[in-house]
Amino acid sequence: MQRARSRNVASARAAHDPTRILVAVLVLILLLLVVPPLWFLLQGSLHTTTVTGGLGDFTLAYYRRLLADRQFFGSLANSLTFSLGATMIALCFGGLVAWLVERTNAPLKAFAYLTAIISLGTPFVLYVIAWLFLLGRVGPLNEFIVFLGLPRFNVYSMSGMILVEGFLWSPLAFLLLSSVFQQANAEYEEAARMSGAGIFQTVTRISMRLAMPAFAAVALLMIVRSIEAFEVPALIGLPGKVKVLTTDIYLDMTQNVPPDLGYSSAFSLVLLVLAGGLIWLYSRISRQASRYHSVTGRGFRSRLFDLGRARYLGGGLILLNFFLILAAPALGLLWLALMPFSQGFSARGLRLVTLENFRTVFHSTVYVDLVWQTLLMSAGAATCIMAITVLCGWLAVRRRPGGWLLDQLATAPLIFPGIVLGVAMIQIYLAVPFALYGTLWAFVIAFTIRYLPYGMRYSAAGVLQIHPELEEAASVAGSPLATVLRRITVPLATPALLAGWLFIFLIAARDLSLAVILASPSVQPVSAAMFDLWANGQGTELAAFGLVWTAIMTVIAAAFYLVGRRTVASAVRA
Amino acid sequence: MMKLRGIALILAALLVAPCAQAADSALYEAAKKEGSVVWYTSLIVNQAVRPLVEAFEKKYPGVTVKYARADSGPNAIKVIDEARAGKVMGDVFDGIATAPPLLKAGLVAPFTPSDAGKYPLEMRDPEARWNALVVYFLTPGINTQLVGKDEIKTAHDLLNPKWKGKIAWSTDPWSGCAVYVGSILQTMGEDKGMAFLRALAKQDIINVDATNRAILDQVILGQYPVALSIFNHHAEISAQKGAPAAWLKVEPISAPFHSIGLVKNAPHPNAGKLLIDFLLSEEGQKTFASVGYLPAMPSVPAKVAGLKPEAGGFKANFISPAVMSANIDRWIKIKQDLFQ
Repeated sequence: MQRARSRNVASARAAHDPTRILVAVLVLILLLLVVPPLWFLLQGSLHTTTVTGGLGDFTLAYYRRLLADRQFFGSLANSLTFSLGATMIALCFGGLVAWLVERTNAPLKAFAYLTAIISLGTPFVLYVIAWLFLLGRVGPLNEFIVFLGLPRFNVYSMSGMILVEGFLWSPLAFLLLSSVFQQANAEYEEAARMSGAGIFQTVTRISMRLAMPAFAAVALLMIVRSIEAFEVPALIGLPGKVKVLTTDIYLDMTQNVPPDLGYSSAFSLVLLVLAGGLIWLYSRISRQASRYHSVTGRGFRSRLFDLGRARYLGGGLILLNFFLILAAPALGLLWLALMPFSQGFSARGLRLVTLENFRTVFHSTVYVDLVWQTLLMSAGAATCIMAITVLCGWLAVRRRPGGWLLDQLATAPLIFPGIVLGVAMIQIYLAVPFALYGTLWAFVIAFTIRYLPYGMRYSAAGVLQIHPELEEAASVAGSPLATVLRRITVPLATPALLAGWLFIFLIAARDLSLAVILASPSVQPVSAAMFDLWANGQGTELAAFGLVWTAIMTVIAAAFYLVGRRTVASAVRA
Repeated sequence: MMKLRGIALILAALLVAPCAQAADSALYEAAKKEGSVVWYTSLIVNQAVRPLVEAFEKKYPGVTVKYARADSGPNAIKVIDEARAGKVMGDVFDGIATAPPLLKAGLVAPFTPSDAGKYPLEMRDPEARWNALVVYFLTPGINTQLVGKDEIKTAHDLLNPKWKGKIAWSTDPWSGCAVYVGSILQTMGEDKGMAFLRALAKQDIINVDATNRAILDQVILGQYPVALSIFNHHAEISAQKGAPAAWLKVEPISAPFHSIGLVKNAPHPNAGKLLIDFLLSEEGQKTFASVGYLPAMPSVPAKVAGLKPEAGGFKANFISPAVMSANIDRWIKIKQDLFQ
């Protein structure tokens, strides 16, 4: 009887709960963002394509072709090898540097942060081109290897792909793992050392074991991201005859006229299932990771390891990381930017130095347009995402009815690899009755879907930091919900929201896999333009433009770092 | 009698000339009202597009050119996608292989430029849907610091084991690999051609997903010593800047047409026509010649005469859009079977 009454009271309260309409609206928005791409991919993979690119008859032929295609299984195996290898490199390299910076007294730590921050704002395509120049047949690094009497390294191979992709992810691995090390409680390590364990023993038996679940979660994230990677497979894999799933989809979309939408949709769904499975595994691991939390309510302090003389070796490694990930590619690009045509470092080249490429970049209205459009679309997407997710995050964290569903829906796009979402979105834009194709909105919507999960994590982390009693006090004092959110929640969560905004802005501005499919003559993001310039044979002009763009983005990345130092960790892992 | 005919001709010319002028200025006025023209091109931006746009905008102030560069295939895909979305944005397309799929999809509008008569019949569509813009000669290209000019004299020299893993080509079917396959089959015959291609496949030819221009840059950089099939004028342009590049007169030399046309339902039809008219005029063709490209109009000589077959003393294997359209799928299949 009593239970029934309390249920009645609860349902009566729910009926008056002002959040119900809000939840309904948000669910609708999220469904509209998440479901159509899946639906269009499924439709596309089950129908033939007509001469004009429309949907034809129902067919299962694409899936049959996929299963009969030996190349498909080759690409699948390559995708897995590539992502596992790259993850190993990124984790070892980034992890080592993170440990040195956070847990030891090695010098030159600022260089590690400088490297990570600048690399956050640099398009991967630009990095890949720089490393191709350095590691190419006649690149300076290869010349050095040959000078040492070792055989020349062929970068256009699976090992070359793994190496470069590993380098690409190592700054992010550094950022994520350094936060893990930051949060590790030194008490256990100190106890180990007081019991007579050496540095090595302490690291392997205490520090590493405590960090294991976090390591596993970061590793899985890197594996998923490398399976979805496009830049390295396209620029290094294709010339080296190493195909992976993403390049297969890209070739089907661009080499056939009209594009083989059905086959690439079928291919995309396979990639999507693969990524989805891994993300599911990832969420399970990160849930368990909380059991390993070593920071407790009691006085938490962290003590640095004294490496003794080895600290200089540590400093050397940090410097090597700075050189490999930042200085060498930047120098390579600067050299190319100053040359009238692509050529290796040489004394002869010094006589040819010219500022012509920079002059072209600064005088061409095309480049100015590219920069503006990219800034606008990235800012647009970041704003939309944070606006949606601050509400979703609040509802989810405060466990309001429907909050759980909103969290799930906003996290769902994680399963979309960029290129897959590109294939889906182009089909949607071509099918809708109003003009979206070729507008800035096309990008804003696509980026919003793709990066929604990141915004969700930042917003949730921001709300989590605010104790509900502040909001409750305002409610009791008679403020309606909108006022509470506007006056209490949003202002207090601002640092997290701003960090989320900047992070999304940065990663959207360097996105290539999605952009390369959606780019149209009227709207083209910087990264897609860079890819075109490379394919075009305008490598020297690209280098000049790339340096200018990186300078702009570094300023924004530095702002991100300053604002979001504390919130980066939890959110980037989303 | 002769005199009378002469006078009649002069009179006719006087009558026609103002007409052509009038049509031209009427077109210009209409184009000015449209303000701009969107050009989907596969010409290289810094080498050709920028100087051409500059010349056009100087001659026709008030009409600005917005260009977007992509390879032939993606250019055609864009036009098809836009037509499907009901939002046509492109006015003018060009490329080696852009026309055939667009003709198939019925997305090309006929337009006869004023100087059409100055082009031989085989260089223009009988229904005025396309006209050759520039001509290309695809030859091997080398890095002169790594390869001697006499090391490769015939196609069979490419089979020398010392070149194994050192020859690159473009995966773009229409200006790279598939056209080369086609030219071998056309000039050597089916049996000998296939035998040659099988032997060539054993040389581990490197597939590069980039334009011939980008591949030549990699050759100059020393990444690959030899490019199998690049545009000979690109090597000439780079060599003049001091780059260690050269092209080789090694037959078969494929000569695909780079054609231009007007998109159906183009948003700026008059500006589009004006641009096509300019690019195909003697003045436009001379601009092409001045930047080192090879004009399609026979009466306009190339800047370096030796780049064309007559003055260069080589035989070219011309591939018309019709031949290309009929055979390209088979050539791509052979390339994929042997060289993937």
